[in-house]
Amino acid sequence: MNPFERSDLPGKLFIVEGIDGSGKSTQLDLLHKWLVGRGYLVLFSEWNSSPIVKGTTKRGKKRKLLSPMSFSLIHAADFASRIHAQIIPALQAGAIVLADRYVYTAFARDAVRGVNRDWLRRVYSFAPRPTISFYFDVPLDEAIRRILEGRPALKYYEAGLDMGLDDDPEESFRIYQGLIRAEYAALVDEFGLERMDATENLIRQQQRMRELVEQHLDGVMRVEGRDLHDALAKAGLRGRYLAGRSQLMEVGP
Amino acid sequence: MTEVRFYGDRPPGIEEATLPGRLIVIEGTDGVGRSTQVALLKEWLEDRGYAVLDTGLVRSELAGPGIKRAKQGHTLDPITLNLFYATDFWDRMERQIIPALRAGMVALVDRYIFSLIARATVRGVSREWMEHLYGFALVPDRTVYLEIDFDHLLPRVLSRGFDYWESGQDFLRENDVFRSFEKYQSELLPEYLRLARDHHFEVVDARRGIGEVFEVLRAKVAEAVKGMEVDRLATPDPPVEIREDSASAN
Repeated sequence: MNPFERSDLPGKLFIVEGIDGSGKSTQLDLLHKWLVGRGYLVLFSEWNSSPIVKGTTKRGKKRKLLSPMSFSLIHAADFASRIHAQIIPALQAGAIVLADRYVYTAFARDAVRGVNRDWLRRVYSFAPRPTISFYFDVPLDEAIRRILEGRPALKYYEAGLDMGLDDDPEESFRIYQGLIRAEYAALVDEFGLERMDATENLIRQQQRMRELVEQHLDGVMRVEGRDLHDALAKAGLRGRYLAGRSQLMEVGP
Repeated sequence: MTEVRFYGDRPPGIEEATLPGRLIVIEGTDGVGRSTQVALLKEWLEDRGYAVLDTGLVRSELAGPGIKRAKQGHTLDPITLNLFYATDFWDRMERQIIPALRAGMVALVDRYIFSLIARATVRGVSREWMEHLYGFALVPDRTVYLEIDFDHLLPRVLSRGFDYWESGQDFLRENDVFRSFEKYQSELLPEYLRLARDHHFEVVDARRGIGEVFEVLRAKVAEAVKGMEVDRLATPDPPVEIREDSASAN
């Protein structure tokens, strides 16, 4: 079935997916900087960041109130809020949108928690179709190694401890990520996700990403004179009071 | 026994085929007198020995406070709002209603998925999407709809004042609240009726006085709780005497 109701918007939407430790955020960040550096208007949106909804998700996690269904619904609400307030307007304007995780994260995680797959696809049907969806495929052991190196304590839901897979957080995390990875493997075929070998050299991964993205950049909105660094240097200012500026005006590296 | 049936697929977390309690839903537009009737029903049921859970929209521990906060601002699109409501609904389903039904209680629910569907539909959200979303809702043992027309509704709402959301001012382009309310209800009431037809509600004429409505409602609820363990229906009910003016507060 086709879960995307909208594929008529002039902007371009590039999204990354993959299990924790796949390196997807690093690659998206590099892509972001490259696009901004070339003068494109770029909106960046990440999972679980809606100012209206994220407080409730946080409350649910902190008090361990989230069941498979409420976990699914509150993340759908967060996603819907970002889609309607940020992503669709930017795509309507003809800008580039980069999303760290998209509907496939919900399809994978929630299915692992026992939520009906068909139900999920229809609930998320308000999401615009991505121009390219990159899936960063990493062997489970490699991903676990990367995560455990940099993160001493795994969080309750992050480790899938709500699912009662194992009492040991590390073992639970391993089983949980393995289940999600299997879901992703099926999604790659179902939705034609662009599979990236996440064990490959980082620079080569980024090159491949840019090559694929570049094919879709004809006529995409660019911004002139938006380089804040240049403007500040020219005026001899440091921009001390600029902390709350819009993400749309975000500048390059 | 409540037969555990869902509108769509069975959601994860509920395994039983039947539950000993009863799920009774009272539906109706804002201002029709639902809360008053729920309060009366609760007292009446408790007096007869039933353990009662009463719950209604936005009363979940998880999402209640978040929805109230979100509605203070004006940046809320209808899809987000409905997914927020769905979170609130499911949290109450799972952590209030189902446990009450497991314990053999009567769950008296002030507005269920139908008010949410009606309100979303008139705001342009796909009816099909809404009904699909709420596929995880348990089919109630009884859904009673308090039916009213605009002329009878108006004085009840006037007595307590108009509300921004209940007058559809978040989406209708009307200058004054009265016009907005009129237009909103003229779209909303037919939507309720459609749901009542499609989902076989018991329709109660709510144009009548509080006491009369209660008498009809009580008979319907009595039928729904028949056969429960605490059945003490042997004593006949006294006639209802409620003074209209004092009980009109909603």
